[in-house]
Amino acid sequence: MTPDLTTKIKHLEFRNPVAVASGTFGTKDEYASYMDYEQLGAIITKTITVQPRQGNPMPRVCETVGGMLNAIGLQNKGLEDFLEDKIPYFEKIRTPLIVNIAGESLDDFRILAETLDGYKNVVKAIEINLSCPNVEVGGATFMRKKERILSVVKTVRQETDLITFAKLSPELGDLNEIAGLLIREGVDGLSLINTLKGMAVDIEKRCFRLANKTGGLSGPAIRPVALRYVYEIKKAYKIPVIASGGIMTASDALEYLLVGADLVAVGTANFIDPHATGNILCGILDYCRRYRIARLDDLRGTLIDIDQ
Amino acid sequence: MVNQFVTVLENRKVNGQFYKLIFRCRALAKHAKPGQFVNLLVNVSYDPFLRRPFSFYRTIGDRIEILYEVLGRGTALLANKKKGEALKVMGPLGRGFKRIVKNKKRILVGGGIGVPPLVFLGERTVVDYFLIGAKSYKEVLPAKELSRVHGKILYSTNDGSYGAKGYVTGLLEQLLRKESPQSLFIQTCGPRPMVQAVMEIARQRGIEGEVSLDETMACGVGACLGCVVETREGWVPSCTHGPVFAFKELR
Repeated sequence: MTPDLTTKIKHLEFRNPVAVASGTFGTKDEYASYMDYEQLGAIITKTITVQPRQGNPMPRVCETVGGMLNAIGLQNKGLEDFLEDKIPYFEKIRTPLIVNIAGESLDDFRILAETLDGYKNVVKAIEINLSCPNVEVGGATFMRKKERILSVVKTVRQETDLITFAKLSPELGDLNEIAGLLIREGVDGLSLINTLKGMAVDIEKRCFRLANKTGGLSGPAIRPVALRYVYEIKKAYKIPVIASGGIMTASDALEYLLVGADLVAVGTANFIDPHATGNILCGILDYCRRYRIARLDDLRGTLIDIDQ
Repeated sequence: MVNQFVTVLENRKVNGQFYKLIFRCRALAKHAKPGQFVNLLVNVSYDPFLRRPFSFYRTIGDRIEILYEVLGRGTALLANKKKGEALKVMGPLGRGFKRIVKNKKRILVGGGIGVPPLVFLGERTVVDYFLIGAKSYKEVLPAKELSRVHGKILYSTNDGSYGAKGYVTGLLEQLLRKESPQSLFIQTCGPRPMVQAVMEIARQRGIEGEVSLDETMACGVGACLGCVVETREGWVPSCTHGPVFAFKELR
């Protein structure tokens, strides 16, 4: 018998909990020749902004132990291109599409939310990027002011009843407190966590490895930190969580599911192996069979204390 | 597209500087074109973590050859791979070199570890001249490695230990004295200062051509936007829009 991995968040149903994290899966068909998009639980797009953005100077990525730093700077072709070129592509794919958005002003967020609200046949949810470490305006530094985060969420909420996730990073401050405030503001779920700001140095050239000097650290190096946040937030609040942070294997994904994650978003692993999501899904199914778990809901959040 | 494990058939030094890796992969060999690349996962490990892009050096039947230089930890580990060990390969990726240049004379200009994709191109097309720049004799490929190239091969070394002394651009300028620019098409790959100098020479004389650019990459499929190159149309990922660009596409 195939274990039932169906995951529900509000009225939205996902056939399994394995999603792809924003920024690691492109905005359209980048991985389509390697995998079947309909096998995924959800697709979260790379961040879309109202105006096109050319992003940061090169070099933008660098490898680190168990991860990588990136400072792409939200390069994207803007909202208009997304509507004209990307939406028609996803119209044919049944996997729920979650569109990640960022803005430089409240007006940007208002336009994005209002516009996407008109595409409910394709766009199933919004993820607000409140925590990009690599952009000045609209990034994690800018959002550090609690009032700004809250007003962004409030604005989006006013413009759409699409399920709305807020993507957070510990860079923003006390996540427990912020989560509580966002929930009060009407957010439907949280995405935990975005990359952690880091740095690397080329000792031969005695220079920064990234032109932006700092970048967002992703990959298995950040997994224990991300796991802790998912655990703490799930323990404190009854709020759906999309967990991300270094998920490379099924066992990584299961750690997040055991602490209560609703969806697990595979990110950097896609760069190493386009088959990562498929392998993770198979591994979760194997695990459920091994422990005779009929429904993923029977497993989710069932973490127990160590026997004394 | 291929994303699978392959077995190392051969992996050894071919001269004082470069290694040759050979593995078998029918699907990859069938579709690989000169200038395209394979994203190679040396080890399934967290350190080094990412794949490494390598241009195709040659395909023979279902055998694939990669020529590489040990430059960092990834290539150092690759150099230690023994016959029978596994690697994971993904590709073929990117856009390769133009194979039809109509009535023009094809001139290939390669430098250092930028030579391999041009060897592949030179074996699959007819070239008039293949100019190769090397630091010294250590980097010069054994004659049999170039025996399948259809065209005249000229070497230059920085220290004069083989061929002409000086940069490969010297050979190019010499050649251009006797050719009319409109009749030529240059295809180049090599260290950034070298390809920039080649493009500058081409621009001054109005010669068309293509360059293969080498950027640090992560995904190889245009998803991460980590390897972008500035073109007339903006910043585009070199893994999908390149790595081969027409001179006129670049600013």
